[in-house]
Amino acid sequence: MATLHVLSHSPFTDSRLGSCLRILGSQDALLLCGDAVYALQAGSVQRQALELMPESTALFALDEDVQARGLDLPARLTQVDYCGFVALSCQYDKVNTWL
Amino acid sequence: MKFAIALFSPPHAPSSRRALRFAEAAVAGGHQIVRLFFYQDGVHSASSNVVCAQDELDLPGEWREFVQAQHLDGVVCIAAALRRGVLNAEEAQRYTRSAANLNLPWELSGLGQLHEATQLADRLVCFGGP
Repeated sequence: MATLHVLSHSPFTDSRLGSCLRILGSQDALLLCGDAVYALQAGSVQRQALELMPESTALFALDEDVQARGLDLPARLTQVDYCGFVALSCQYDKVNTWL
Repeated sequence: MKFAIALFSPPHAPSSRRALRFAEAAVAGGHQIVRLFFYQDGVHSASSNVVCAQDELDLPGEWREFVQAQHLDGVVCIAAALRRGVLNAEEAQRYTRSAANLNLPWELSGLGQLHEATQLADRLVCFGGP
C-alpha cells in the first residue's frame, strides 16, 4: 500500500528524517514541509541522503516553506502547493504524518 | 474524495495553519471533509477566548469562519478540551466554572468521533508537531 509520508520537523533536531528514509518503500513518497525543508540545505548530509534515494521513491517539498527559508530546490524533488498536497493525499493510499 | 482531518497542534504552531490551508484547498478542489477533529493542543484553536494581535494571523477565527461557511462537522475532543480549560456552556455548568469559551460551530465529543470519521472518510490526514 503506497503511503505518503509527511514530515515537518527539522532534520537537525531529531532523527525522524533518517527513520523515515529507512522505512520508505519503493512506492511510497515523502513530502517535506515546515522546518523539514531544511533537509534541502546545500552541502548537508540530509540533502545528500535525499538525493541518494531510489528513483522510484517520489520526493516532494511544500513550496511556501522552501521559499520562506530561501532554499534552492534540488532537481530530485518536486515542489507542490496546497492543491498539490491535496492531490498527493488522493494519489497515495494512506497519509502518514510524522507528528 | 472524502477527507477526515485531525489537528494535534496549538494555534501558534505552523502545522495548525497548514491544516487550515490544506482543508481550504481540499474544499476548493471539490473534495468533501467529513469531519474536523481537534485533539490534544489542537483544542485551543476552537477556543473563542483567543485574542490575536491585529497584524497577526487569527487562526482560531479563520477556522471558525471556514467551518461555518462550509457547514463542516467540527468536533473537539472533550477530554483534551476540559483539561486545557476549553469548555462549552454545558460543561462550565457541570463543573461549576465561571465561563465558557467553546461556542458554535464547535462541538465537544469523544475520541469515538475520530474513529468514526476515519471509517467514513477515504483519507485521514493528521497535522501536528512544528
